[in-house]
Amino acid sequence: MKPLIRAPKDFWSGVMFLAFAALTLVTASGYSMGRGGRMGPGYFPTMLGWLLALLGAILVIRSFAITGEAIEKIKFRPLLALLGCVLFFAVTINPLGLVISLTITTFLCAFAGDEVRVGEALALSLGLTLFSLVIFVFALGLPLPVWPSL
Amino acid sequence: MMDVFSNIWLGLTVAVTLKNLAYCLIGSFLGTVVGVLPGIGPVTTVAMLMPISFTLEPTSALIMLAGIYYGAQYGGSTTAILINIPGEASSVVTSLDGHQMARQGRAGPALGIAALGSFFAGTVATFVIAFGAPPLAKLALQFGPAEYFSLMLCGLVAAVVLARGSIIKAIAMVLLGLVFGLSGSDVNSGVRRFTYGFQGLADGIEFVALSMAIYGVAEVIVNLEKKVDENASTAPVGSVWPSWADIRYCIPTVLRGTALGSVLGVLPGGGALLASFSAYTLEKKVAKAPRNFGHGDIRGVAAPESANNAGAQTSFIPMLTLGIPSNPTMALMIGALMVHGITPGPRVMTDRPELFWGIVASMWIGNLLLVVLNLPMVGIWVRLLRTPYRLMFPAIVGFCCIGAYTVNANVTDIVVMAFITLFGYICLKLDCEPAPLILGFVLGPLMEENLRRGLLISRGDPMIFLNTPISLGFLIAAALLLLVVAAPAIRRKREEALVE
Amino acid sequence: MTIARALRAPLSALVLLGLSSAASLVVTSAAQAQAFPNKPVRLVLPYSPGGIIDYVGRTMAQALTGALGQPVVAENRPGAGGITGTDSVARSPADGYTLVLMDPAIVINPTLQPSMPYDLFKQLKTVSIISSSPEVVVVAPELPIKSISDLIAYGKANPGKLNFASAGIGTTPHLAGELFQQRTGVVATHIPYKSIGQSYPDMMSNKVQFAFSSIAGALPFTTDNRVRVIATTGKTRSPVYPDAPTVDEAGLKGFEVDLWLGIFAPAATPAEAMDKLNGAMQTVLKDPEVLKALAKVGVEPRGTTSAEGEAFLKAEFGKWKKVIEDGNIKEN
Repeated sequence: MKPLIRAPKDFWSGVMFLAFAALTLVTASGYSMGRGGRMGPGYFPTMLGWLLALLGAILVIRSFAITGEAIEKIKFRPLLALLGCVLFFAVTINPLGLVISLTITTFLCAFAGDEVRVGEALALSLGLTLFSLVIFVFALGLPLPVWPSL
Repeated sequence: MMDVFSNIWLGLTVAVTLKNLAYCLIGSFLGTVVGVLPGIGPVTTVAMLMPISFTLEPTSALIMLAGIYYGAQYGGSTTAILINIPGEASSVVTSLDGHQMARQGRAGPALGIAALGSFFAGTVATFVIAFGAPPLAKLALQFGPAEYFSLMLCGLVAAVVLARGSIIKAIAMVLLGLVFGLSGSDVNSGVRRFTYGFQGLADGIEFVALSMAIYGVAEVIVNLEKKVDENASTAPVGSVWPSWADIRYCIPTVLRGTALGSVLGVLPGGGALLASFSAYTLEKKVAKAPRNFGHGDIRGVAAPESANNAGAQTSFIPMLTLGIPSNPTMALMIGALMVHGITPGPRVMTDRPELFWGIVASMWIGNLLLVVLNLPMVGIWVRLLRTPYRLMFPAIVGFCCIGAYTVNANVTDIVVMAFITLFGYICLKLDCEPAPLILGFVLGPLMEENLRRGLLISRGDPMIFLNTPISLGFLIAAALLLLVVAAPAIRRKREEALVE
Repeated sequence: MTIARALRAPLSALVLLGLSSAASLVVTSAAQAQAFPNKPVRLVLPYSPGGIIDYVGRTMAQALTGALGQPVVAENRPGAGGITGTDSVARSPADGYTLVLMDPAIVINPTLQPSMPYDLFKQLKTVSIISSSPEVVVVAPELPIKSISDLIAYGKANPGKLNFASAGIGTTPHLAGELFQQRTGVVATHIPYKSIGQSYPDMMSNKVQFAFSSIAGALPFTTDNRVRVIATTGKTRSPVYPDAPTVDEAGLKGFEVDLWLGIFAPAATPAEAMDKLNGAMQTVLKDPEVLKALAKVGVEPRGTTSAEGEAFLKAEFGKWKKVIEDGNIKEN
C-alpha cells in the first residue's frame, strides 16, 4: 500500500505556507481595509494572505497525488547549537560587551560540528574577537559595547 | 559628438590629477572593504565620511564617495561567491551560481569574471552617461506611481524564474517575501503592521538580518548536517583565473547584462537591484544550455555582476541631472553636494562641467583601480577557502551576529535573525528556495506603496495602470513572462500525467 | 604639487576617521572627579544618515567638541520616526553625557502614536532649541498658481482636484498641509511619500499639485524653476528665497510652520551640566563657520535658554495637538 502523503516535501511546504497565510490573515484583520480609492493598510496583506493560502492548499492537495522526494533526516545538534549561539549573543552583547560575548559565542559555536578540538576552538574564538575588535571597533568605530557595563 | 569627447577629455583632466586619483583609490578601497565586511554598507560608510568630505573640494569629495558606493557593490559580490553571504540585495543573484562555483573549486574564475564583467560594464556605462544622460534622465521622469507598480510586478514575476525547482513553491516564496516586507510602519497610513508590539520592528525586518539568517546561519546548519568531506573546504582548487574559453563564453552575457543594467539603473527605486536579477532571468531564457544555471554556471555570475555594476553607475544619472536620489547612498551624496553650495539638477552639467565630467571619468578610473586592486587578491581569497570548515563556520556565525547588531545597534535584529534562521533552515530542508523570497521582500514594500499612491491619485480608478504606455507595457510583459515560466511546467505535468 | 602634499589630505581623512572612533572609546574613570565634561559626550541623531538632522547634528558635534573641550560624538540611532533614538536617550543616565537632537516630530509623536515608550515632558528636558527653518510652499509648474491666494482660489474652483505631498503621516509637511486646509477650507488629498524629495518627480508632472517642503528638499528643484515657490512659512522671509512672501504676508495671518531643531537631555540631568551645555551651544551658534554651514541648507541659528526652550516646546506641542485633533488625523 502506498503512503497517503506521496510528496512529503511538498506537503510540509504547503503546510508552512498555509500557516503563514493564516497568521497573515489573522494579523491583517486588525487593520482597516480602507474605502473607495483610499486602500487601507489591511487590504494588501489580506490579498497576499489569500493568495498564499491558495498556493499552500495546491501544494498540500497535490502531495497526495504526485510522488516527490522525502525529507532528509533532521540533525538537531547543529540546529539547536547555532540557534542557541545566536540567541546567546543577542542576550549578552549589551550587558557583557563584545569581548566576552563574542568569545563565548564563537567558542560554543564550534561545538555544533561533529569534529571539535577544544584548544583550537578557544584559539579561534579569541582570534576572531581580537580581529573584530580591531576592525569593527577601532578602525570603523561602530557603536558596539566593548566591555561589560556596570 | 565632438562635444562628448571634449567633455570626457575635460573629465579625465580633472580625474587624473594626483589628488583626485588618491581620493578615487581611497574611496574604492574603503568601499571594497566595507562591501566584504558584514553589517556595514556603503550608506554607513558614506555617512561616516561626510564630515571629512565637507573639508574637501566638492569634486574630490564626490569622487571619493562615489568610489565607496561602487567599491562596496564589488566587495559584496566577493562574500556572496566565497561564503554565500550577499551583503547587498543585488548580490543575492550572484551567490546563486557564484557560490556553487566556489564549492566546485572554481572560486577563482568566478571572482575573476565578476571583476572583468564589472569593469567592462563600468566602461560602457561611463559612455552611456556621457552620451545618454539627458534622454535617460527624461525617461526617469516618465515614471510615476503607476509605472513603478507595473515595473515591480514585472520584476516579481521575473523573480520566479530565478528558482531551480517547483514554480508553485517559487511563487509562494515570492508571496511570503511580500508578507515579510509588510512588517513595519506603513507609508500610506503610518500604521505599524506585523510588529506584534516590538519597538525594534517598527521599521520592519532588517534586510541584513534576513539575508544573513538565510544565507549565513541556516546554510551553515545545513552544511554541518552533511558529512565533513562534502563541504567546500575539500573541493580541489582549480585555476585561479578564468580561462579564455570562460571569457569568450561570457561575452554575449556581459553585453546583454550591461545593456539591461544601464537602462534599469536609471530608474529611481529598485533600479540596480532589478538590473541584477532581470539580467540573470534574461540569460536563463536566452542563453544556450540554461539547465546549468544554478549549478555553478559562470554566465550566472557574469550576468548579474555586469548588470549590477552598469546599473550602479547609471544610477548617478537621476541624481546628478535631476536631483532625484535613486537610493539612500545617492541621497547622502545630494546632501554632500548641497553642503558645498551645489544644488544637483539639470544645471550641474552646464554650470559645473568639471564636476560632472570629473565624476563620470573618475568612475571609469575607479573601476580600473578595482580590477587592479582585486585581481591579485583573488589568489588570497581562494586560499582562504581552503581553511577547514570547522574553523570557517564559527567565524561566519560570529560575523553574522556582529553584522546583524551593528546595522541599527539593535538587539531585536539579532533575535529576528535567530527566528529567520529557523525558518530558513526549514525552507532549505523543504527545497523552498530563498532567492525569490528575498526579492519579494525588497520589492514588495515599493510595490504596495506605489499601488496605493497610484489609486490615491486616480481617486480609486484602476485604469491608471493601463492608461500610460509604459505601465501597460510592463503589465503585458509580466503576463507574457508568467506564461513563458508556466508553460514548460504545465507541459511537463501533463506529460507526467499521461505516462501514469 | 608634490606627491606628499597631494596625499596629505586624503590620508589625514583616514587618520581622522580612526581618531574620532578611538576617541569615543577612551575610558576616563580617573578623570571622573573633574568638572563636567570630563569624558566624550554622545549626541544621538535619531534618523538615518543624510538629511538635515544628520548634517546639523554633525556640524554641531564638531563645533561643540571645540567649545566643550571634550569630543562630542554624533551617532545615528534611526527607527520608528525618531522614537527609538529619543527613547534610548530618555533611558540613559542623566549625567549630561547623552543628548539627542530632534525636530518637531518629538512633540507630534506623543499625540499621534497610540503608545509611547517614554514621557516627553517627564523624562526629557530641553537643553536648547538651536535652530529654525521655514517650510517652502511649492506648486506644480504647469498650474496657473503664482501665490497663496491663487492656490486657495484654484482649490475652491476645482474641488477634488488638489493633491498635496508629504514625507509621511504626521510629519511636518503633512500637518502643515492639514493646517492649511483647516485655515482656508480648501480640500486636498494627502499623498504620503517616504521623503519629500521623492515627491518632486510627481509634482513636476502635475500628479501632485503642491507641498509644504523643507528648504533642503526643495532646493534642487527650485533653483531652475522646475517647481514654483509661492511662499515660505516663517515669521520673516527666508534668506534663501528672499522674493517669496511669507504665508502670513500673503494673507493667512499667523500661519507659521517652523522646522526647528532642539537638543534634549534626560530630565534629571544636573543643572551644572545643563548650564555648561547650553552655554557651549549659545557660543557655537555665534561662530561664523557654523552659521555659514547652517545657511547652506536654509537653517537659521536660534540658541534659546533651557527655560525658553521648554516653553516653546509646550507651545508647539499644543499647536500640533490641536491640528491633529481638529483634522481627526490618526494612523489608520
